[in-house]
Amino acid sequence: MTEAEPGTLPPAIEVNDLTVAYGEQPVLWDIDLTIRQGALTAIVGPNGAGKTTLIKAILELVPRAAGRVEVLGHPYREARGEVAYVPQRGSMDWDFPTSVLDLVLMGTYGRLGWIRRPGRRERKEAMEALEKVGMEAFADRQISQLSGGQQQRVFLARALVQEARIHLMDEPFQGVDARTEKAIVEVLRELRARGDTVVCVHHALQTVREYFDEVALLNVRMIAAGPVDQAFTEENLRLAYGGRVPFLQGVTGFHHDEAGAPAGPRGTGFRPTGGGP
Amino acid sequence: MSSLDLEIQLLAVVVAVACALPGVFLVLRRLALMSDAISHSILLGIVLAFFWVQDLAHPILVLAATATGVLTVALVEALHRTRRVKEDAAIALVFPALFSMAVLLIARYAGNVHLDVDAVLLGEIAFSPFRRLEVAGRDLGPRSLWLMGSILALNVAALAVFWKELKVSTFDAGLAAAMGFSPAVIHYGFMGLVSVTAVGAFDAVGSILVVALMIAPPAAAWLLTDRLPVMVVLSGLLAALSAVAGFWAARALDASIAGSMAGMAGVVFVIAILFAPDRGVVAGIRRRARQRLEFARTMLMVHLLNHEGGARARVENRMDHLQEHLRWSPDFARRVVRRAERQGLLVRESGGGLRLTPLGREEARHRMVR
Amino acid sequence: MSDGGLFHALLFDYTLRTVALGAGALGAVAGALGCFAVLRRQSLLGDAISHAALPGIGLAFLLTGSRATPVLVLGAALAGWVGTLFVLGIVKHSRIPEDSALGIILSVFFGIGLVILTFVQRRPTAAQAGLETFLFGQAATLMERDVLLIVGVGAVALLLLALFWKEFKLLTFDREFGGTLGFPMVRIDILLTTLLVVGIVLGLQTVGVVLMSALVVAPAAAARQWTNSLSVMVVLAGVLGGVAGVTGALVSATGGGVPTGPTIVLMASAIVVVSLLVAPRRGLASEVVRRFRVRRRVRADVVLSDLYALAAQHGESGEHAHSVAVLRTMHGGQAGTRRSLGVLAERGWAREVEPDRWAITLEGMERARTLFLPGSEEGGPKAHDAGEAAPRTGSGAAEMRPGGAP
Repeated sequence: MTEAEPGTLPPAIEVNDLTVAYGEQPVLWDIDLTIRQGALTAIVGPNGAGKTTLIKAILELVPRAAGRVEVLGHPYREARGEVAYVPQRGSMDWDFPTSVLDLVLMGTYGRLGWIRRPGRRERKEAMEALEKVGMEAFADRQISQLSGGQQQRVFLARALVQEARIHLMDEPFQGVDARTEKAIVEVLRELRARGDTVVCVHHALQTVREYFDEVALLNVRMIAAGPVDQAFTEENLRLAYGGRVPFLQGVTGFHHDEAGAPAGPRGTGFRPTGGGP
Repeated sequence: MSSLDLEIQLLAVVVAVACALPGVFLVLRRLALMSDAISHSILLGIVLAFFWVQDLAHPILVLAATATGVLTVALVEALHRTRRVKEDAAIALVFPALFSMAVLLIARYAGNVHLDVDAVLLGEIAFSPFRRLEVAGRDLGPRSLWLMGSILALNVAALAVFWKELKVSTFDAGLAAAMGFSPAVIHYGFMGLVSVTAVGAFDAVGSILVVALMIAPPAAAWLLTDRLPVMVVLSGLLAALSAVAGFWAARALDASIAGSMAGMAGVVFVIAILFAPDRGVVAGIRRRARQRLEFARTMLMVHLLNHEGGARARVENRMDHLQEHLRWSPDFARRVVRRAERQGLLVRESGGGLRLTPLGREEARHRMVR
Repeated sequence: MSDGGLFHALLFDYTLRTVALGAGALGAVAGALGCFAVLRRQSLLGDAISHAALPGIGLAFLLTGSRATPVLVLGAALAGWVGTLFVLGIVKHSRIPEDSALGIILSVFFGIGLVILTFVQRRPTAAQAGLETFLFGQAATLMERDVLLIVGVGAVALLLLALFWKEFKLLTFDREFGGTLGFPMVRIDILLTTLLVVGIVLGLQTVGVVLMSALVVAPAAAARQWTNSLSVMVVLAGVLGGVAGVTGALVSATGGGVPTGPTIVLMASAIVVVSLLVAPRRGLASEVVRRFRVRRRVRADVVLSDLYALAAQHGESGEHAHSVAVLRTMHGGQAGTRRSLGVLAERGWAREVEPDRWAITLEGMERARTLFLPGSEEGGPKAHDAGEAAPRTGSGAAEMRPGGAP
C-alpha cells in the first residue's frame, strides 16, 4: 500500500445514507461507510446487527429503502464486474450434483455472458485458483464430499477466478479448521498485496486486530468505522454490543497485550477461546 | 328444498367440518401436502380390503385404508431419512406409486363393481342419500352421514382431549418432548386421525378434493386470527360455508357438487387473502401507504441525528440533500419535512439547513435502538 | 402378453409404434426437465401445475368447442402458469407457507376443473368430449399429430435447456451469486418454470393430470443416485423417463384399456426403487456393505488397541500372547472378538501364537501408535518419529491409550 498516497484513489466502496427495511422493520438505519481501496476491512457486530444485509444491499440482492452505493466511483451496476461475492457457506445445497472444478468455473460465468460455456482457458484459470487455495487435488470431487473448511476454500477459489478487484465475503472463517483459516488469511494478504480490496463479515473479535486493517462496527446503525487501532476500541465495542461485554475483555488489544503493540502476524489469540495470556 | 337436498347439504357440511378440524394442525405443522399423499394412497387400502371381503360397506375397509394412510407417512419419512431424496421428492414418489397400483387394480379387476375410477376423483356425495342405514326395518338416514358424523365426533373428541399436547408439539416440539409427550406418538396419532378423516370424506368428495377441504378453510382462518381456538372454530365455519355455497353453485351449473365445494373453499380463501382486516393484501397496501410517510419521517430523524455535529453536517442536513441522497422527490421531501416540523421534531434554519429539536433527537435515538 | 409378443407388436403395429414414440419422447422431456425441479425442491410444484391445468383444458374446450390437442394443451399451459403464479403470490404476500399454498392451488383448481368437465358433459351439445381421458391419461388415444406435437415442442424445450444450461445451473445452485454476476435471475426463473409447465402439459393426454408430476420427479430422483454430475443426471433422467414412458404406454395400450398414467408411473417407480437400492456409492445396498466394513474395522481396531495396551502394561516385547477370553472381557464381553482377531491376522497386525492365545506383531504396534496418537492424521512423519522413539516399556505407551480404547 505504498503505491499511492491516500486520497488520490477513489474509495473501493462508498455507501451513503443506506437504509434497508424488511417489511416495516428497519434492519439498517442510515449507513454511511467508506471502504478504502487495497485494505482488508472487517464488518463486525452482534447477531442481527445487519452485517449480511449490508453486504447484500451493496450487491443489490435486497432492496434499499434509501441511499446510494458507489463502487470505485461508479454506481454498482456499472462496476459489477469489479466485485466478487463469497456467500455464507451454510446457505447452499451441498448435495448438488457438481464437482469442485465446476463450482469454481461458475466464477467465470459473468465474464462469459449469456449462453457461452467455459472453455479450456477458463478451466486453466479455475485450476490455478484451486492451487492458490490448496485444493487442486480435489478438482474432480463432488462438493458434498468436502469438509466445511474445504468448502470455504473452494468458494474462495470461485471468487478468485472472477478477476474482480473488490471481494465481499460473508463469514469466510465460520466453522473452518485452523489450517483453512491460515490458508484463507494467506490468500487475503496476497490479494491485498496486489492492491485488491477485501471486506469480510467477521465474527471472531479476537482475530480482528491480527487479520484486518480497517473495521466497521455495526449494530443496525454504523457505530464506528476506520483503521483498526482507531475504531476497534472497547468503548465502540460496548456501543455496538450493548451492555453484554464481559467476553470482550482484552480483544481490542489495548489493555492486555504486552507493550500495547498490535498483535503480530503469528500472535496469540488465534483460537476463539484463547483470549490472551 | 327437498329433504334429499337437505340431506346432501347436511352431509357436505359434516364432511367439510370434519376435514377442517385436523386441517388446522396440518397447516400449522407444515404437513399440508402429507394430506395429499394420504388421501391418494388410502385408495390402495380400500381396494385391497375390498378384494378380501368383497363388500364395499364392510368396516374393515376403513381400517385398512387408515392403516395405508399411516403407512404412507412412515414410507415418506423412511425414504427421506435415507438422505437420498429430499422430503418434497419423497412425497412425490410415494403416493403416486401407491395410487397407481390402486387405480390399476380397479381398472383391471373391479371395473364392474361399485368402485370405479371416476368415483375416486369425484366422490359420490350426490348419491350418498340413497344408501340408507336401516336398523330393524327403520330408516335412520344416509349411511355416510352416520359414518362422517362419527368421524366428526371423533375429531372433536380427539382435539378436546389432546388439545394441550397438539398445541405444544405444534409450536415447540422441543418443549413438548421435554414435557414428556413423545413427538413420534403425537405425530403418528395425528396422522392416523387425518387418515380416518380422509377415508370417510373420500367416499363423499373423492381423493383430491379432500385436500381442498382440509387445507383451504384453515389457511383462510389463519389469515383472520392469531389465536388457535378461534382459528379452529373459524375453520369449521368457513368449511361449512364453502360446503353450502358449493352445493348451490353446483345445483345452478348442474355440475359436480364435490368439485364445486372445493372451488368455493378456494373462493373463501381468496377473499380472506385479499380482504382480511389485518393480514389481507388490501389492508397491507393501505397500511404501507400510510406508513411510508411515517417511515420516511423517522428515517429523516435518524439521518439528521447521525450527521449532527459531524464535519459534513452542513452538507448532509439540508433540504436539497434529501432529494439527492435519500432519493426523495422534492415534493415528497417537503411533505416529510413539514410533517416533522409540525410535530415539533425539527426546525428549518435559514439557508435550507435542518436541525433536530431535543424532542426530535429523543425520538430518533428511541427508534434506532428498536 | 409376453415380451416377445410385445416386441413383435412394436415392430409391426403402426398404432403401437406411434404410442410408444409419443410416450417415450414425453418421458425423455419430462425426465430431463424434472431434474431441475427436483434439485430446486419443486417436486410438488409439478403436482400443483398438472392439477391446475385441468380447468384450462375444460375452458379451452368450452370456449373453442375444439378437441384438437394443441388447443387443449395451450389452455392447460395457461392454467398451469396461473396456478404457479398463485402459489408464488400466496407465499409472497401472506403468512401461508408454501406447502399449504401448493395444496390449496392443486385441489381447488382441480375442483374447478371437475366442475367445468361435469358441466361440459351434461350439456346436450357436448357429444361426449372425451375429456375424462385427461384425468388418468390414455396413450391409446395418441394420434400421429399428437406425437408430432410432443416431439416438436419437446425438442424445442430440450434445445432451450441445452442453450441456457449454464444459466439454469446457476439459478438452481446459487441464485444470489448469479444475481451478483449480473444475470437477471427472475427472467431465467420464468424461462425455466415455463419449460417445466410445457413439459408437464405435454404429458396430460398420455399420463393425465393426476399422475403427471410423478413422471417429472421419478426419473430425476432415480438418475441422481447414479451420478454426481448434473449433465449426466439430466441425460440419464431423460433416458430413464423415456424407458418408463415406452414400457408403461405399451403395457397400457395392449392391456385391455387400463389407463396409461398408472402404468407409466409404476414403471418409473420401479426404476426409482432399483436405483435407490443398487446404484453404486449412493445406493442403499452399497451403504450397508460400507457400514459393515467400517464396523468390522472399528471392532478390529478396538481389539488391536487392547492387545497394544496389554503389551505395554506388561512391558514385554509384544510377543507375549493373551487369551481370547481376556481380550473379550476388556471390551465388555462383546461378541466378535475372534472375528476381529481374524481380521487383524489377515493384515499381519496380530498372530495366534498358540491356540486361542494371541499376540500383537511389530506392524500391529506401529499401526496402533498411528491410530491413537493425537494429531497423527496430519503430522505423519512426526507421529512416525514418536513411534520409533516410544519405549516399549510401560509408562509411555500406557499414557497413549486413553485416546482409543473404550
